Amino acid sequence: MAQLEITNVSKSYGAVNVLKNINLEISSGEFVVFVGPSGCGKSTLLRMISGLEDIGTGQIRLNGQVVNAVDPARRGVAMVFQSYALYPHMTAFENMAFSLMIAKEKKARIKEKVERAANILRLEHLLQRRPGELSGGQKQRVAIGRAIVREPKVFLFDEPLSNLDTELRVQMRAELIQLHDKLKTTMIYVTHDQVEAMTLADKMVVMHGGVIQQCGRPLDLYDDPANKFVAGFIGSPRMNFMDADVARVESDHITLAVTGALKQFDLPFRGFDSSLRKVQVGIRTEYVGLSEDADSAVSLPATVAFVEELGDVTYMHTDLPNGERLVVRSNGGRYRGGKECVAQLDTTGILLFDEAGERIRSAS
Amino acid sequence: MMVFPFMLLFAVFFLYPIASGLFYSFHDWNATTSTRFVGLGNYQRILASRDFEKAMWNLGKYIAITVPLGISVAFGLALLVNSFKGFWSNIFRSAFFLPVVLPAFLAATVWRWIYTPNFGLLNMILGWFGMGSINFLNDTGTMLYAAIAVDVWVSAGFNMVIILAGLKNIPKDYYEAARLDGASRLQQVRYITIPMLYPVLFFVTTYGFISALQVFDVPWLLTGSSFASYGGRQGALLFPVMDMMGRGFGSLRFGQAAAYGFILTAIIMLFTAAMFALRRKGYDR
Amino acid sequence: MTAEAITAYSNPARAVALPFSGWALLKWITAACIAIVAVFPIWWMVNVVFAEPGTPVSLNPRLYPTSFSAGISKILMIMQETDYMKAYYVSVAYSLLTIAGVLIIGSMAAFEFALFEFPGKRILFATVMLSLMVPTAVTIIPTYLLTASLGWLNTMQGLVVPGLASAFGLFMLIQFMKTIPRDMIEAARLDGASHFQLYRYIALPLSKNALVTLAILTFMKTWGNFMWPLIVAPSPELYTVGQVVGLFNSPYSHQTVDIVMTANLLAALPPLLFFLIFQRKIVEGIAMSGSKG
Repeated sequence: MAQLEITNVSKSYGAVNVLKNINLEISSGEFVVFVGPSGCGKSTLLRMISGLEDIGTGQIRLNGQVVNAVDPARRGVAMVFQSYALYPHMTAFENMAFSLMIAKEKKARIKEKVERAANILRLEHLLQRRPGELSGGQKQRVAIGRAIVREPKVFLFDEPLSNLDTELRVQMRAELIQLHDKLKTTMIYVTHDQVEAMTLADKMVVMHGGVIQQCGRPLDLYDDPANKFVAGFIGSPRMNFMDADVARVESDHITLAVTGALKQFDLPFRGFDSSLRKVQVGIRTEYVGLSEDADSAVSLPATVAFVEELGDVTYMHTDLPNGERLVVRSNGGRYRGGKECVAQLDTTGILLFDEAGERIRSAS
Repeated sequence: MMVFPFMLLFAVFFLYPIASGLFYSFHDWNATTSTRFVGLGNYQRILASRDFEKAMWNLGKYIAITVPLGISVAFGLALLVNSFKGFWSNIFRSAFFLPVVLPAFLAATVWRWIYTPNFGLLNMILGWFGMGSINFLNDTGTMLYAAIAVDVWVSAGFNMVIILAGLKNIPKDYYEAARLDGASRLQQVRYITIPMLYPVLFFVTTYGFISALQVFDVPWLLTGSSFASYGGRQGALLFPVMDMMGRGFGSLRFGQAAAYGFILTAIIMLFTAAMFALRRKGYDR
Repeated sequence: MTAEAITAYSNPARAVALPFSGWALLKWITAACIAIVAVFPIWWMVNVVFAEPGTPVSLNPRLYPTSFSAGISKILMIMQETDYMKAYYVSVAYSLLTIAGVLIIGSMAAFEFALFEFPGKRILFATVMLSLMVPTAVTIIPTYLLTASLGWLNTMQGLVVPGLASAFGLFMLIQFMKTIPRDMIEAARLDGASHFQLYRYIALPLSKNALVTLAILTFMKTWGNFMWPLIVAPSPELYTVGQVVGLFNSPYSHQTVDIVMTANLLAALPPLLFFLIFQRKIVEGIAMSGSKG
């Protein structure tokens, strides 16, 4: 059974619709990541779950109970803020104990709970320090500890790692995964960083313009995006997109003419809507290589604009004759100079989108 | 609602007095006899009175000297303190600020003794230079200036601290850039310090005007005034607030005193509005 | 940027630091002279107190203290033989009660104004801020009449209560509390803190600096307040230090310079001590009121 159900939730500030008809189910113990560019509504949704933001229309249910009118403190959620929001005048211990003190827990019980949380987060030796005396990563852990102590039904994380430097971020990511394995509590995590989302999520919710674009397991989203936005948002470097004309539609394949390609090619596809004359072809860089001979299946002559050499892989950003950008990936091979090249598409990696950006899937 | 206590007190001891003051100002009322509506009578009587004229004349002279002098001194002190570093900067700042700490009633009384004829400190110093004793606080030619001196002595440190904070807020980069551009120290003050300090100087000036218009404690105490007799010899240190208080508590004409308050407020508002208008003009330029 | 500043561009050689020169010497002398002018009247007051009585100032200019015991005996004499101590108590009580009231009432209101929305907030705030521009002159007489009709003349509440709704204090605390991050308040709400607990455990401790500064400034103002006690508490029972000092100094006073100066010095002592201890806070507080005003 779903632990958290969001049904038909919308929210607007004046004329601006921040969230449009959100429906989402989250099961107990899941690690869910809301990801999307800034302003997509992901933080607002999180804050509505926490109770810090009023729910406009629609309902949010926690463990089957509608929580729209329930006070934030009584929802059984705990939140870790981007700024950590640690109380600067209290020690790490007092910060973690604050909610228990408000709840009038017994001193001994508070001590026990805080120490257990500190143990999980390896904070024992820092408990008497104030936030000002802690490093970024330590503050982050205290903030998480403050959430753990409350033994919430759901953890909420609002871009908690964005104030840390890259190295620490990778480390904290690993710690969060371990923490989730240990606590097995539902966690909802908001980020704009798709790499963070991919690495953390059991379930990834991609949002854009106040709408859930797609949700599912990270690799499913990667392999089978529902639309051009998701396809482009997930994966780095970004997926390549090219215009193509539909030359012929057969029952088991279609023939496409990609603008700038030397030849038309066949793509296995069932049930193609023959009224469509133009499509967009999306292809990830790993399916785009360099061709030695210009005769092979789908080749596009291109001009090298610049090259990113990362050692193990090399990305060549090339310009097609019609001005579009095509990123070519070369595994192992290093760039040896030269301007002109021929890019080759592996057609098994091609995804089709209609002109509105919606995915066109082959009937199975 | 936790604003309630504040708002209650604010309404009772600020808003209500203003409203009731307006009411009194149109009535003849001396705290014992019943009130009688006199329309603008109180206002007319004040505006026509000799004391009002004298007080305003004194005030005009006083403001014309105190405000520019006080702020120039404060600005100079701030620059001076700012030109020292570390320890000495703090020492001088504290020294220059010390008079501010003294309650105004004390500053006035201490200076009264300094001004005392014959054996007062100032006259003693003048005596060393062979000058005769001056009765600073009883000579209509010197009284106003004596009061101004005390006032500048008291207030310069206060304004200095505000200006100093403004100086500290000017990024060092500008001075370094100006030095590389070859600006002299004086040019740096003229082209960087003063323009960058404009908002602070504006505040200090406006505030200076508003408080100078309400000058009371210092001349009251310097002249040893009481409600029976105030303003010093020939009213040479008679100022509007003193005049107002005297009408209220000296001769128990509270209606007139209330009207006086509104006249003063009108003047202060006009001044403030003029200052802001000037500032806007300054920005446009 | 003005034309002169641009044309001055061509002379970078002058950037070399000046050696210890006439400039610096002049600067030191000026600073020292002004410091003397600023400090000397207070110093002189001390010297007059700590000197044998009787010698006229013209013979003994009192440039330094000469007799410690004479000073002490004068202080004791004032404390024992006059009502000075009582005035001291009144002034201390007046100051402390005012500080407590201003801080409590002001911080509660500032908490609401700075961190929450409520109906009518903008109008209330604008009214309070406008009151900063209204001179005391216009309110003092009606406030006196109101206090009188409440029967509060010559009472402590008459001295204290009308001054508690300090718009300046409210403004200062609002400015400060506005800097408390929203996240902090929300985190505490999620931690289960009630509205009052937010105030008590988060807003108040976080505003400690501003509260201390406001307390000191309020003390200075209350201790030095001359006009209000003069009219609202004219009975000797509630004389404040300011009034007593006024009496000592009045032309009809039979006291000698020494005694008067002792009274003055005692009156100056609390603010001077405060200044020595809290110098930085005072200076910061005033600077803040200036830069934000």
